Amino acid sequence: MSEFTISRRGLLAGSALLLASTALPTIGFAQTPKKGGRLVLAADSEPRNLNPAIVASNGVFFISSKIVETLAEASFDGKDGLQPRLALSWEGAADGLSVTFRLRDGVKWHDGKPFTAADVAFSALQIWKPLQNLGRTVFKDLEAVDTPDDLTAIFKFAKPTPFQLIRNALPALSSVVPKHLYEVGKIEENPANNAPVGTGPFKFAEYKAGQYYRLTKNDAYWGKDEPYLDEIVYQVLPDRTSAAAALEAEEIQLAAFSAVPLADLDRISKVPGLKVITKGYEGLTYQLVVEINHRRKELADLKVRQAIAHAIDKDFVVKTVFLGYAATATGPVPKNDPQFYTADVPTYPFDVAKANALLDEAGYKRADDGKRFALKLLPAPYFNETKQFGDYLRQALAAIGIDAEIVNNDSAAHIKAVYTDHAFDLAVGPPVFRGDPAISTTILVQSGIPDGVPFSNQGGYKNAELDALIVKASETLDTSARTELYKEFQKKVAADLPLINVAEWSFISVARDRVGNIANNPRWAVSNWADTYLAG
Amino acid sequence: MNWLRHFFRTPEAVAGALILALLAAMALAAPLLFPGDPQAIAGPALLPPFQDWSLPLGTDRLGRDVLAELFHGARTSLAVGLAAAAAALLIGAVVGTLAGFAGGLIDEALMRITDAFQTVPSFLLALAFVSIVGPSLGVVVAAITLGAWTGPARVARAEVLSIRERDYVAGARVIGMHPLEIAFREVLPNALPPVLALSSVIVAAAILTEAALSFLGLGDPNRVTWGGMISEGRTVLRTAPFLSIVPGVALVLTVLGVYLAGEGVVESTAVRRSLS
Repeated sequence: MSEFTISRRGLLAGSALLLASTALPTIGFAQTPKKGGRLVLAADSEPRNLNPAIVASNGVFFISSKIVETLAEASFDGKDGLQPRLALSWEGAADGLSVTFRLRDGVKWHDGKPFTAADVAFSALQIWKPLQNLGRTVFKDLEAVDTPDDLTAIFKFAKPTPFQLIRNALPALSSVVPKHLYEVGKIEENPANNAPVGTGPFKFAEYKAGQYYRLTKNDAYWGKDEPYLDEIVYQVLPDRTSAAAALEAEEIQLAAFSAVPLADLDRISKVPGLKVITKGYEGLTYQLVVEINHRRKELADLKVRQAIAHAIDKDFVVKTVFLGYAATATGPVPKNDPQFYTADVPTYPFDVAKANALLDEAGYKRADDGKRFALKLLPAPYFNETKQFGDYLRQALAAIGIDAEIVNNDSAAHIKAVYTDHAFDLAVGPPVFRGDPAISTTILVQSGIPDGVPFSNQGGYKNAELDALIVKASETLDTSARTELYKEFQKKVAADLPLINVAEWSFISVARDRVGNIANNPRWAVSNWADTYLAG
Repeated sequence: MNWLRHFFRTPEAVAGALILALLAAMALAAPLLFPGDPQAIAGPALLPPFQDWSLPLGTDRLGRDVLAELFHGARTSLAVGLAAAAAALLIGAVVGTLAGFAGGLIDEALMRITDAFQTVPSFLLALAFVSIVGPSLGVVVAAITLGAWTGPARVARAEVLSIRERDYVAGARVIGMHPLEIAFREVLPNALPPVLALSSVIVAAAILTEAALSFLGLGDPNRVTWGGMISEGRTVLRTAPFLSIVPGVALVLTVLGVYLAGEGVVESTAVRRSLS
């Protein structure tokens, strides 16, 4: 998508570099991969549980995806957007009741034991399905995994499960962990959760709390000549302003996941030796969403929700909050999704007069002080941008006579307030679109989800028609019919506004020019980095 | 009058008083000069200072007028500083007087409680309190008070201990006044001046604590505070340093002003005492 890939800034930086390369013939983009070296990069959080099979989240993947591999990884040009990792091929049965994986031969765990189909069966049945945050929904009907030989795993489902969904779930949900280490004792308390053992190009070496994680090269890796790097060190830099300084001082060579604040990118792109990269996060799109508590009688009124949608200037949000590093949203599927997105949905252009008229129509006239009603607004604290959007939304609502009071919480308190206690009227949330609406998107709208499930519909919204559509799509095996149903889903969500999608954004990497093979797949920051190298 | 003359004889005191007067004027004039919500979006984002004279100090990341925020922030800072200091002095004076006048077990109990509060760093106490109760202006004032009342309590107790042996207290006892009445009508007013001398330190510390809490995201998010402005500016420190510098300078000047004026008061009362 053009908004993410080409920016004037990027072009300028690129052409400046080209100019520089004529002056200094040793610097250039056409470097050949070089072996060896230590890559030091910034880490902004310190996950304690590093098992990606249990905690499928980007914070964990960022470190553990280099150690523990999945069956397949996302790809820009592979078939169905995938490239093989531990599985060489995958095939779904026509009845939707089974999926057959052929596994890679000659793969060894870091402790020397061979990798077999039994590890896949164990991971799927004992971890992905019962324990994994996302796997619980996708693999809910997984009944058994047959292993006719060491290199074949056949997933058997109790109910027809769309192959498209399983395929789309592979990059994030299919981390395989060693059965021989996990079959004894409680899986959640296994020491390997903190010092993971996998098949990946790097081995876990050590973790010093508050300082760094260190990974070392796996000499027995299955990839030919891979990995190139000898070591990866994640330097813990929780302060976002320090990442930029560390890059400039050459203390670190890479800052992924927008560790450098957006406002600093313009300046840093002009620093010689540093490059700003907007690619490599296409598969990790975050959505800026206004979550609505439909238990409030004002917000249960569609006209009020429409008024709020009209009151938000999405272009302003993209331009000012995200400094252009985002795109406006039309509905629950982001524009950069190649399979499901449709632009054919009701839209809500920025129109304060119309918003005011809608509120008048709904019967919420302005009182003498100009206010119609007051509500509580809880911006999620995870990103600067969600907090800033909260400040903007308060102003946008003030313009249509809604008096919003901002309530700030830390992460844990925010999740409890919104998803367990429902102590909010509006909340600003950053759900992630994970390549298929059934993985983590329909859950934002579906009714009947128990209290306390984070990033789900906890606003008390109930729409039988949408619920039926979601169930139908989850049972539809035919890929194009299923895709059509999700297009219908987008239309209905945009029309009834169970939540308001404002913008879609992803992350930015800043790296030294020496770091090669960056951003070469849509989930690069959370992929295995077997081919990443440091030029001399 | 005599006292005022002494007060204005020291240049620090004059400087402090001027700064405080300016600050008070800013706080009072804020709603007149900048009516409406100071957090409203007023122009393009990240406009540097002195570019557009309708927005003399520029705008922040969302395009809010920094000057308007600065004026309204003065209100919050002063309100929190004065309210917290008043509450701390009140609680401290009452606790100190009770402890000093009653003596015995009550004294022991109250002073051990004071010790307990004093051993916990007051900022940590405020931090813990706000994160449990949730940030709003009243809670922030209460949180700051929680760590600030111990100083006045100790000073008040020490004063009361010496005053309660005076003749007029014995006289009050003889005419049958209720002990509480003696404590609060006869003893406390005389014990108050040295306690009040602490007020400048407490106000300054309260303003700083409020700013620090806001900086950590624990201030009232629906009000402009200088600490909050610095915190927001910090993310763009390299590209728009003025967003942190402007409220930072205001904060330094305010604390300096309060402190200098307080020193002036102490000096002039000291002069007055030595003269009498």
